Amino acid sequence: MKLHEYQAKSLFRQAGIPVPASMLATNAVQVKRIASEIGYPVVLKAQILEQGRGKAGGVRLIQHEHEAEQIANEIFKLEINHQTVQSILIEKAFTFNKEYYLGIFSDLDLGSPVLRLSEAGGATCLEKDSFLNARMAERQIDIDQGLHRYQVRQLLTNGDVDPSLWKQFGSIALKLYDIYRSNDATLAEINSLVVTQQNQLYALDAKINIDSLSLFRHESFLDSIDPTYYGWLEHQARKYGVTYHQFTGELGCIVNGMGLAYLTYDQIISMNSIPAAIIDIHGGSTVSSMTSSLELLFQNDSIRAVLINIYGGMTNCEEIAEGILSVTAKARHKKPIFLRLKGTNDISAIETLSGLKQLQIFDSTHELVKAAVDYLKDS
Amino acid sequence: MSILIDAKSRIMVQGITGRRGRFHSERMLNNNSPLVGGTSPGKGGDWAFNGRIPVFDTVKDCVDATNADVSVLFVPPHATVDCILEAIEAGIKTIISVTGSVPVQDMMQVKSALRKSDSVLIGPNSPGILVPEIANAGIFPDHIVGAGDVALVSRSGTLSYEVLDILNEAGIGVSVAIGIGDDPIIGMDFKFFLELLESDPHTEQIVLVGGPGGESELVAANYIMESITKPVVAYVVGENLKASIMGSVFSRNSNFFLNSVERKTNAFIEAGALLAKNIEDIPCLLRR
Repeated sequence: MKLHEYQAKSLFRQAGIPVPASMLATNAVQVKRIASEIGYPVVLKAQILEQGRGKAGGVRLIQHEHEAEQIANEIFKLEINHQTVQSILIEKAFTFNKEYYLGIFSDLDLGSPVLRLSEAGGATCLEKDSFLNARMAERQIDIDQGLHRYQVRQLLTNGDVDPSLWKQFGSIALKLYDIYRSNDATLAEINSLVVTQQNQLYALDAKINIDSLSLFRHESFLDSIDPTYYGWLEHQARKYGVTYHQFTGELGCIVNGMGLAYLTYDQIISMNSIPAAIIDIHGGSTVSSMTSSLELLFQNDSIRAVLINIYGGMTNCEEIAEGILSVTAKARHKKPIFLRLKGTNDISAIETLSGLKQLQIFDSTHELVKAAVDYLKDS
Repeated sequence: MSILIDAKSRIMVQGITGRRGRFHSERMLNNNSPLVGGTSPGKGGDWAFNGRIPVFDTVKDCVDATNADVSVLFVPPHATVDCILEAIEAGIKTIISVTGSVPVQDMMQVKSALRKSDSVLIGPNSPGILVPEIANAGIFPDHIVGAGDVALVSRSGTLSYEVLDILNEAGIGVSVAIGIGDDPIIGMDFKFFLELLESDPHTEQIVLVGGPGGESELVAANYIMESITKPVVAYVVGENLKASIMGSVFSRNSNFFLNSVERKTNAFIEAGALLAKNIEDIPCLLRR
């Protein structure tokens, strides 16, 4: 889960990482008022989670008060990959001599945090080649030991960073690691970390991604999930403990587990169709996760048929059947349901479903998907 | 006999009195898996399942009393790191975390502890290990497949059931089925199991089921090329993710990299494995 820049910077500020003075605004009049308080020149930065805001014109330097409102309005009208700008961060503009990249990320294959330092920072660094061509140093961190200054120094001594900056680099890296650890981040990066004319390091940009699996112990982040980026249905589904993947077709799908989600998706696509949604109710799901998921699909008017593909290991098929029965008993719209239900307690589960007229039962994923896709093509 | 689990294994369950733990422990008893005990802090001294299975407060107590050497976890995600570390310290050889969705940094702590121990961790988010007619250490559906000489090692739990079902329909039995776990960070990777299966006298052929994201399949392909002499059939789910921009929907919700499926299928072909294009093709690629 991505945090907005202003949220990440607020964590930086609390931790003592130097950031430029900044404030958030949600309309152009506010932008102008705040810009005057901070003092020109200022930078207006669209708060948007999509990548590429700089190229799209979402970051603008403003020298004079008379430009502020108009440029703010231009930014508020921006749309990047269907995302609109809800707020703008107004920040004191800086002149600087050099840009660096400093980041900590979770390497899932290593199972460790990795500290990365690059002598190419800023927007150019997003263009892969220049990033890869620049000197870059990485170091795996043992999470039991934590990050220590000598480890940062080792990265610095291999590069061209002026020794007068080493101490600041060390402090910032350690603070960044504290932020990474205490917030269960999967990424905490400063791009770019700039050197001012006074030889001070400042974090001009801040990017923090939070491990969505850790949100149970970071409830404050749950409130700051941006539904305009993550989707309203996805947001609602998260509350039910299921994962909603939205697509553009007419077939609503419920599966247990990502593997089965990918398989179902693969087969729907290879039959020249597209799902409307794939809801993953995960292993060991209960009656309530099944009923909430089915209700989400039934309420959606663009969905004409429902496909349920469950192979229960941890999941008890009887609970799946109970969920189907409770929703179909009260649903006004009788959408056809195509079901494959196998695994733990499947025989008794299927028995309880006999007599449900809107339901057809299949034996394999292939037969199931074919029947559902054929139905949509024929009707 | 098989890898990791056999008739002499002594299985315990962490979280044996919870809803899932109770349900699946009872299944293990009913299918004659060698279940010897379980833990539920605060309920030590109780007996579960009509006095058949003793309950302990700690893993150490359970190991001392029962000589358990395999532990299956049915605990909530937030308690998983604690329970795995407890099992490692108590000297459990094979730890199976059925629980999934464990926070990434919790698993980093676990990985760090594993590097310093001899314990083997399967999962998180693993269906466990199934040795037909011997033991079902985990949540594999009962009677899903018979005994045979094909080993299955799969990243996804539900896809492992899917494949076992397809093998069973084709009249093929398995020596062992292992779900390595489908969480962002897992304990043992494909390579670890391939190494065991290569020297397992009960396994003649290997089916490997992978998916998008991570490097584990690429490492496995390299290892197959270098060190595996038994025939391997590989299947990687998610091929259409690249064909469709809709794949980005999955990537927004998970940490998977979408171009990885093609790289993996190519790596398996280069390694000399037989690639199943569709999941239904797996049986006809196996030698009879």
